[in-house]
Parts: sequence; C-alpha cells; structure tokens
Amino acid sequence: MTRYYEDVNIDEEIPPVEKTPTEDLAVDFFGRGNPMNPAFADAAAGKRLGLKGALVPGMLKIAWMTQYANDWAGPESTLENIRVAYRRPDMAGTPLTLSGRVVDKRQEAGKGIVEVEVVTLADGQPSVRGNVQLVLPIRG
Amino acid sequence: MSEQEEQSLITDEHRAIIGVRGEPYPVIVAGEHASRMRDILEDSDPRWADGTGMAPPYALASFGGRPSRNMPFILPNGLLTQQEWRFNRPFRVGEELQAVAYVADIRERLGGRYGHSVLVTSAVDYLDSEGNVVASALSMLTQFDPARAKKEGAE
Repeated sequence: MTRYYEDVNIDEEIPPVEKTPTEDLAVDFFGRGNPMNPAFADAAAGKRLGLKGALVPGMLKIAWMTQYANDWAGPESTLENIRVAYRRPDMAGTPLTLSGRVVDKRQEAGKGIVEVEVVTLADGQPSVRGNVQLVLPIRG
Repeated sequence: MSEQEEQSLITDEHRAIIGVRGEPYPVIVAGEHASRMRDILEDSDPRWADGTGMAPPYALASFGGRPSRNMPFILPNGLLTQQEWRFNRPFRVGEELQAVAYVADIRERLGGRYGHSVLVTSAVDYLDSEGNVVASALSMLTQFDPARAKKEGAE
C-alpha cells in the first residue's frame, strides 16, 4: 500500500513486529560457507566471549530494521539512510520486538522526507536504537 | 590520573590516515545472495521480487566489506557499536561496484562503560561504473582495554 507524505504524522507509532533470531538464521543470512564470527553460529563460542549464548549479528538486526521501515513506508518510498547504535548484545533464541515512531517530517527540494526512530527490544529492554530517513511520495 | 592529565592515545600518525582512500576492489550485487537474504527475512516487498532486477538494500551485508588497510588497532579489544548505511539509488542485481574503504574518523572517549576508549569509524563507498556513489557503509568500532576499563572503575 502506498503511504503518502501527507498522511504521516509526527509521533505516529509504527505497529510492532516480532522476530526470533536463531543460529541457523544467522548462518543462512550470511550464506553457509561464508566467513563470519563463530559466535553467530555456536553458543559455545559465544560463551567463550563471556556471552550467554550465540550472538545475533548486528548486520541481521540492521537488515530487519531496514525491512521494518520499508514495510511501513510502502513500495513507493525510498530508504536513504539508516543509522543504528548497538546498546547491548542480543542472544539467539531471545525474541526481538521491533517498534518505531515518526520523529520528524519535512519537505526539502520537493522531496517528502520522513524520519523514523526504530528500536529493538529484547525482554523489554532496548538493544539497538536506530534512525531511518525515508522519502515518501507527495500527492500531486 | 584525572581526566585532564589523561594522555591522548591518538597520535598524529593516526590522524594522518583519516580520509586516505584505499585501492578500489570489485563487489558484485549477486542475485543468489540478494534473493537468499530476502527469503530468509521473509521479505515480500514487490520492489525486489524475482524478475524485477533489483536487490534489497540489505544486500549490502553480502559485500563482505573489507576493513580499511589503514585501520588502526590502538587498544586490544573492539566492539561494533554503531553502523550506518546510506543509499543514493537501489542496487541492480548483477551489477559490479567498486568498493573504496577508508578511515572516516578517530576520536576517543574518557570514562563510560569501556573506560578510556578509542572510537574508530571506518567507511566503504560503493561506486558504479560511472563513478557515482551508489551506497556507503560506515561502522564504528569502540576499542578498549578490558584491564584498564576495570582499573578505571568503568561501568
């Protein structure tokens, strides 16, 4: 569904989405046989780093946040930028809730720019905070 | 030692490498990787469905961005603490891009969770055959010394 710039309001909440990261999902995301941190695929390797289990790759989380923002913005939008801060490690098997909120909207050079704050929550605690800049179509 | 007396870990040699671009190397927007990632994420966005010739933005994660050859390792441990992706246009499946890596910034932080830490931001620009930047990926590595962090009573 096309989402237009005019229909977006600052402080608007984006419906949350739940994702469950697993070791297999991390391995398949990067591709089996491709080099990656062993702690993504192996709980024992994660524990050797002082973690509780296998680590969820940051790349997988930023990809989910990109997908989440794109899904909300619709197929006529353009994602220009995503910037994230990793606040705490996430463990495979612990569900992540992605939630978002519109924090700004403005028109620049004829473009309808919308900024969205996206957070991943694990056990109710934020683990990644991100800001996404999208361009939405403007009604003619 | 007070914060004022703490000596900087960043030298002129480190500062001199900021912005120095490495040799370009090719990366391919491979359809097999793009569609695998899309399917793993259960992404049904029609923009990068089969047959469109377009790859999702997170295909960037498949490029395996090499760190800059100049990347300084000033302290023994490092954690990825921030990441940024910038896009100027969508990726086309099958296109070859030239990746150019460089160190974008080096700064340090006193106190906090990691004690006296060094924040190194590395970047990779992906350019098309006409020399236009299609996308950029930036990563901030927080370098720290665990022994020192403990000694300084970091969080």
